[in-house]
Amino acid sequence: MNRKFPLAGTRVADFSWFGAGPYVTRLMAAYGSEIIRVESNTKLDGMRWQAPRKPDATPSYNISGMFNNFNPGKLGISLNMSHPEALGIAKKLISISDVVLDNFYPGTMEKWGLGYEELVKIKPDIIVATMPVMGITGPYTLWRGFGTSIRTMAGIDYITGNPERPPIGTGMAALPDFSCNPYHTATAILSALHHRNKTGRGQFIEVAQFESTVCWTETAILDYTVNGHIQEGMRNRLPHAVPHGVYRCRAEDREVDYCAMPESVPEHRKKDERWCAIAVFTGDEWKAFCKAIGSPPWTKEEKFATFLNRKKNEDELDRLVEKWTIDKSPEEVMTTLQKAGVAAGVVQDGEDLLTRDPQLKERGFHVYLDHPEAGMIAHDGLTFSLSATPGEIRRAPLLGEHNEYVYREILGIPAEEIDRLTVEGVLE
Amino acid sequence: MMATSKALGDLRVLDLAGPIGLYCTKQLADLGADVIKIEPPGGDPSRAIGPFYHSEPHPEKSLYWFHFNTSKRSITLDIESPDGREILKRLVQKADIMVETFRPGHLDSVGLGYSELKKINPGLILTSITPFGQTGPYKDFKASDLVGLAMGGFLFICGWEDEPPVRVGGSQAYNMASINACSGTLVALYHRDMTGEGQHVDVSMQQCVAHALQWVTQMYDLQHRIMSRSGRLGVPLQECEDGWANMIALFDWDVFTSWLDSVGEAADLADEKYKDMDYQIRPEVRQHITEVTDTFTKAHDKRWICEEGQKRHIIAIPCNNAKDVLENPQLVERSYFVDVEHPELRDTLKYTGAPYRLSETPWMIGRRPPLTGEHNTDIYANELGFTEKELAVLKERGVI
Repeated sequence: MNRKFPLAGTRVADFSWFGAGPYVTRLMAAYGSEIIRVESNTKLDGMRWQAPRKPDATPSYNISGMFNNFNPGKLGISLNMSHPEALGIAKKLISISDVVLDNFYPGTMEKWGLGYEELVKIKPDIIVATMPVMGITGPYTLWRGFGTSIRTMAGIDYITGNPERPPIGTGMAALPDFSCNPYHTATAILSALHHRNKTGRGQFIEVAQFESTVCWTETAILDYTVNGHIQEGMRNRLPHAVPHGVYRCRAEDREVDYCAMPESVPEHRKKDERWCAIAVFTGDEWKAFCKAIGSPPWTKEEKFATFLNRKKNEDELDRLVEKWTIDKSPEEVMTTLQKAGVAAGVVQDGEDLLTRDPQLKERGFHVYLDHPEAGMIAHDGLTFSLSATPGEIRRAPLLGEHNEYVYREILGIPAEEIDRLTVEGVLE
Repeated sequence: MMATSKALGDLRVLDLAGPIGLYCTKQLADLGADVIKIEPPGGDPSRAIGPFYHSEPHPEKSLYWFHFNTSKRSITLDIESPDGREILKRLVQKADIMVETFRPGHLDSVGLGYSELKKINPGLILTSITPFGQTGPYKDFKASDLVGLAMGGFLFICGWEDEPPVRVGGSQAYNMASINACSGTLVALYHRDMTGEGQHVDVSMQQCVAHALQWVTQMYDLQHRIMSRSGRLGVPLQECEDGWANMIALFDWDVFTSWLDSVGEAADLADEKYKDMDYQIRPEVRQHITEVTDTFTKAHDKRWICEEGQKRHIIAIPCNNAKDVLENPQLVERSYFVDVEHPELRDTLKYTGAPYRLSETPWMIGRRPPLTGEHNTDIYANELGFTEKELAVLKERGVI
C-alpha cells in the first residue's frame, strides 16, 4: 500500500454538503483518505451556486470559489437518492467504506434506508458520523439553522463586541462552520478510527453543532453558575492586558473594492481600512512598548505608571497609542513592536493574506491549482505540516466527475448497467 | 456494549502547552488519554488567568484553568534544568504524544528538540502549536489570541461598520489552533497505528485562522474584492422583549409575512419585491424590514418568538447569554452540562459538556482539573521510582 499519505487505505462515503461537513472530509482528503462525495443534480449542494466566481466565467455549478475551496482532493459522484434503485448502490459503496458522514436534517439518512442500524448490517465495523444542527434528540431536534445561527444560539455573539450595542457576533463569518464543528467532528472520527484499529469495532458519532459550539464559550457557563456573572462583550479589551486593542493606521494611496456581502455592490475607495492589533500583557512588555514608540512624555505620566493606572485610564491610553499608529502603515507598526518583543499584528484583509503576507508565502499556505472550468484558482492550504507524511491539496471534483471510476472500478458495476442507471436517472 | 471504554485510553500524553494549546490536550484527555500536564515549579502561568471561583484570584481557583484542563493529571518540573531535562526524557520514553507551545527553537536550545526526542522514542508524535509555525520570517513573532485573529484575517471581517474591527469573545484563535492541532495529532496517530512511525506536527495558528474565512480569500482571488466587516447586515437581530433574536426568512418569505399578517404587523412586507434577494439585502431595505418586524417581536420574549418561528420552519434563533444557554430546553433535555465535584472547594461545578457523542467510547470528564503538582508522587515515586530522599533534593533544587 502507498503509505505516502497518513490516512492511506481509508475510504469515506461522504453525504455531507454546504460548509461544515465538507470541511471534515477536506482535511481527511488532504492526508490521503479516499473521499467519495455523493451528490445529486436533483438536489445540488447549495455551495455550487454560491459566489464568488470569476466575473467572465461561463455559468456552471462547477466554478464556485467556495465549493472548490471546500472540496479539494475528493472524488465526486452523482447519485439520486430519491430514486428507488439508489439505495442498493449507496449500500454497496458503504459496504467497502470505513466512515459515513452526513450533516443533513435529522432523519434524512433513515428516510433513505441508510440509518446506522441498517449500515451496521452491511458493514459491522462502520463508523457513522452525523452533524445535526441541534442534535438527533430533544425538543429542538427539528430546528433549522446556519453556522451564524449556531454561533448566536450558543452564546458566542453575546460575549462579543461593544456591550452598549446589540451583540455583534462575527457578522457573516460563520465561526462554527469553518473551524469549530468540522474539526471537532474530525477529532471524533479519527479517535474512532484509532479505537477501531485497537478493537475492530466501529461506532456511531453524533456532533450536535450547537453543543460543540457551546464548548467555545469557554468560562461563560462556569462564571455564571459560580459567580452569577453573565459575561458580555468587552470590545477588544482583556482584563489582564493593556493596551490591548486595534488601532487605526495610515491609509494606502491606492484604490480597492470593499465589499460587505459577496453579492453586494462594492465600494471603490482608498485602501483606508488599515489597522494594527497590539497586545501588551506584562510590565516588561509595557516598558518595551514605550521604548519602541520613542518614549513620548505621556508614557512617563503617573496615570500610566502601573497596570491598574493604565487600566483606569485605558480610553485615554488607547487614543494616545492611536496617535502614534495613525501615520504609519500597520506593517511598520507591527515590525517596530515585534522587534521590541511586543505582540502586534496587521489586521489583514483578503488581499493582504493572498498577495502580501511573507509568512504565509514562505509556508506555501495558499495553493493555486488549475481547474478545468474555473481556471487557475487559489485554495487554502493546510493548517499544520506533518514531518513524515505531508498532505496535499488537489482540485475539487466536477459534479459526477468520478462516476466512471467509482461505479465501474471501485464498485465493479458493468458498463452497460451504468448506462442503464444513467438513462433511468439513478445516477443523476 | 463496552460503554466505558475510551477511544484514546491506551495513550500517554505529555502536555507542555500554554493557552494556545490547552484545548488540544483537553480533547485528548476527555477522550480518555492519560494527559500529564507539566507545570513549571510554582504552577502554570495560565492559572493566573481569570475569571476566578467566587472572584478570588488564586492559582487553584481559576475558572479559565478549570475549563481547559479537565481530565488531566499534573506534575511540576523545570524542564530547563539538567535534572529536569533528564526526567522529561524518561517520561518521553513511555509517552505516545507530546504537545508543546514554546517559541520555535526553544526545545532545541535546551536539548529537547524533536531530533533528540525521536532518538529516545521513534514512535513519539510531537505536536508544536505556535502563532506562525516553526519556519518562515515571522516564526519568532510574538502573538496573542487577538494578534492571531488579526494576522489570520478573521478580525478584519468582524464588527460594526462604524467601529474598529472587533475580536470575537473568548480566545477563538487559540481554540482554532488547538482543535486543528488535535485533528493533526490524530492523523499522525493513524499513521503510527499503521507503521509505528512517529513524527513532528507543526501547527500555525495563523494558518488555522486563515482557513476559517469562508469566502474572504476566494473573493479576492476571483473578483479582486476585499470582504469588509458587515455589521449585522447579513444576519440582522430583531429586538425582543428580553433581548434579541435572529430571523432568517429568505427562503420562507410567504410563511414569514403571513405570520406577521396574522397579528396585523406585516405592513407592506407581503409585496413581491421583497422576495428578490438582491433587493432585500440593500441596507435601507434591510433597515425597513427590521423595523417592521421589531414592532411584532418587541412584544414577545425571544424564546417564544423563536419556538413559534421554528414551528413555521422559519430560521429563528435566540441571541443567548450564559443563563439562556444553561436553561436551554434542548441542552437540558440532552443532559449536556456536566457536574464535576471539587472536594477542595466543597462544591460541584457545572462544565460545558461533550462536543461530540461517541456511542462506544463516550467523551467524559474523567477527573476534575488537577491541583498544581497533584500527581508528583504518582509519577515520580510510583512510576519513575524516585525515593523520598531524592524527591526532597529535587524539590530543594527547584526541579519539581
